Amino acid sequence: MSLRRDLRHGRRIARAEFRRSIRRYAQNTRRLVGVGFAILVFGGYLLFALPSAYATGLTARSLDAIPLFGPVATAIPVFLLGLAVLRTMERISRIDAAPLVLLTVHPRAVVFGLVGSELARLAAWFGVPVLAVVAAFALGLGAPALLVSAPLVALPLVCAAAACGYALGLGLLSAFRRLPNVRRLAKAVGVLAMLAVIVGSQFAGQFLVEYGSSLSTLASRLTVAPVADYVALAFFPTPLGRPPTASALAVGIACLALTPLGLAAATWQASHLWFTDAPGRDTTHASSSGWFAAPRPFAWRPAGRIAWGHLVRAARQPQEFAHLVMILFFLGPVGTTLAQSSGDALASLVAATGVGLGTYLAGATFGLNPLGDDRPTLPLLLLTERSPQTLVRGRVVAGLAVGLPVAMGVPLASIPSGAAPRSAVALAALGIGTCFAAALFAVGLGSVYPIYDARKFWGTETVVPSTLVLITYLLVVGVGSLVCLAATWFALTGSLVLTPVAFSVAGGYALFTALVSLGSYRYAVRRYRQYTMA
Amino acid sequence: MATKAAGGNNKRTEGRYAAARSNPRQSVTIRRSRVKLTHVMPSTTLAVEAVDLRKRYGDEVALDGLSLSIPAGTVYGFLGPNGAGKTTTMRLLTGLSTPDSGSVRVCGVSATDRRSLAPRIGYLPETPPLYDEFSAREQLDYVADLRDIPTDDARDRIETYLDEFDLAADADRRLGTYSKGMRQKTAFIQSVLHDPDVLFLDEPTSGLDPRAARRIRESVVDFADAGATVFLSTHILSVVEAVADEVAVLFDGRLVAEGTADEVRARAETGASASLEDAFLAVTGDAERPESDATQGA
Repeated sequence: MSLRRDLRHGRRIARAEFRRSIRRYAQNTRRLVGVGFAILVFGGYLLFALPSAYATGLTARSLDAIPLFGPVATAIPVFLLGLAVLRTMERISRIDAAPLVLLTVHPRAVVFGLVGSELARLAAWFGVPVLAVVAAFALGLGAPALLVSAPLVALPLVCAAAACGYALGLGLLSAFRRLPNVRRLAKAVGVLAMLAVIVGSQFAGQFLVEYGSSLSTLASRLTVAPVADYVALAFFPTPLGRPPTASALAVGIACLALTPLGLAAATWQASHLWFTDAPGRDTTHASSSGWFAAPRPFAWRPAGRIAWGHLVRAARQPQEFAHLVMILFFLGPVGTTLAQSSGDALASLVAATGVGLGTYLAGATFGLNPLGDDRPTLPLLLLTERSPQTLVRGRVVAGLAVGLPVAMGVPLASIPSGAAPRSAVALAALGIGTCFAAALFAVGLGSVYPIYDARKFWGTETVVPSTLVLITYLLVVGVGSLVCLAATWFALTGSLVLTPVAFSVAGGYALFTALVSLGSYRYAVRRYRQYTMA
Repeated sequence: MATKAAGGNNKRTEGRYAAARSNPRQSVTIRRSRVKLTHVMPSTTLAVEAVDLRKRYGDEVALDGLSLSIPAGTVYGFLGPNGAGKTTTMRLLTGLSTPDSGSVRVCGVSATDRRSLAPRIGYLPETPPLYDEFSAREQLDYVADLRDIPTDDARDRIETYLDEFDLAADADRRLGTYSKGMRQKTAFIQSVLHDPDVLFLDEPTSGLDPRAARRIRESVVDFADAGATVFLSTHILSVVEAVADEVAVLFDGRLVAEGTADEVRARAETGASASLEDAFLAVTGDAERPESDATQGA
């Protein structure tokens, strides 16, 4: 009786949560534009993927078995479980308006609702593309029945992974709450692991060519035969089908059994997590003595003192800069090149990477959500004697204080490692220009789409810049910096003849960059001023 | 205690708000249809019973041996300075948090028995738990559904409440566009929609304009007159003075005074003409008070 009631409440909660997600997107035009942009980009990829999937299906007709099927089939439940754990920790570990919901229905109903809404959201985002690819493959294979058998096989797997992943994710959150040092360590390990995966992915092709046979041996050893047999059931009504085995059926039954068991474990974990408090508040670093005194050179100008305030807050709450980890996705390929280089080339590459990293930090650290970051104090800031220019300059200076030391320091520090002093100094000088350009550009770009609400980002609840703004910044500043670095490099190595035309092009590019950056800065100032008038 | 409560009810019935009620525009009548949702009250007359509650957050002591016995039908004003432990107490009494030691029973039901506790209590936290993406009507309909209130009955009640709280005209607007007062009134409605036996209110009138604050205050009185218990935590002493039968003062996680407003004033030795504010300042201003002396009034 209570199970039926909890299921009904869970369905109602899932529906409400899903509807809220849709409305959050629908009520905000800029979010809708972001979604439209994402659909355009990924829709384009999908359009290219469909013919490939069809061709793969055609090829598979003549095969006796799909290559690497065992390891891939084994990886599917592992991937699904990992995804469920990550999503739990990142997004659905708690329900909004918890005091209302938790005093209205049983925690089990809340677990049903949260897991159900998450599955619905994932289905809404990925359901159509996945179905389209499977359909193209099935048509190529000449077995439309795959469209029925594949979901039938996938459903128990997905349900079991969602339930067990939710229980595991909540369990980890409970453990991290008791062991905050372990949580910090896990975050650091997570970032490093992701970097390793990104860098490793660059070598994957090379490894496959060089160690293909060894890798396939290793992969076949990692295959869990019953799981592979179960996944193979999806191909039962196709030319690739093989007769069902007892172990495959056992895995299916295990999945069906794991779903309620996982939900029971998740309910237990949820009751523990939601109705208890963190054991203690860390107050060891929560006090400071003395006045607010900015050191030189920050103390010279009001913008510098404002910048110092940003820097002090950043040092005390570094979790607010979780968005900076996005750079890892772009550093991965650079890391590969670095690892394959040596001698002078390595030192020069390190110097150039320093310029790129410093430039990124100069804008991304404090500039990509200026209005959103200042929102709690804007009524105070805008009613002080300081002009909007000073407030915006404060953010620019704070960004430069972080970016410039990296952009200038790394090239100069690479001299002892073998970089030519002339090149290092030139790159450091270039870093000054790119940092200024990035810092000025960022405040304007960030003012276009301010984000005011905190959200979970990499396990931290904080106000982070819009993903669209972040990606645009990475693309514009990344491409701009690469052009500058390449031109400087070619000029230094003599590959670029410094003719009047080359000077004109370089000057034109520099002027264009400066105008864009200054225009962006002025836009940010205008947004602050308009906020005053609003 | 029971006698005091009865006295308090009489006081309410005689009506501090009699004048307000006589004005039809200001009249708020909480229609408690307890027939359909009445819960079987245990034989005990205590609505809330907390025994020796202790709660620590690391080195900080939030509650230090707090015991409460609140008879059914009482409006219990719960006072204390910032950081005294009021919100922690409410979270423990509603079962949203667990004490390090001690026990809580509400209407004879243990606070750990969530399934039995849920229909008996309503809770309005300081920050109204509302979904900005819903309209007031949708929000209340959603809560009624989760409360298993039959649809027709729920919709009748929702319309009545929306009308009584002057929200009917804006009921289809998204809550994200509501003012603080409108949000607070919506949250109040959702906390009483299921006719709870005990209503926990955390700063229900904080930041509201006088009209909205009066609406909530009158609703509290009406709700208690209908037989429910109201546990009212607030900083606004005039509200407590106006509606509470019993007053308790929490300081540093301990109960330093309890009784009727007159008794608390007498206890603080602030004189008959002194206000509750004077008494509050007196009992919370002396941290060096001997423990036995401080809790004697409880």
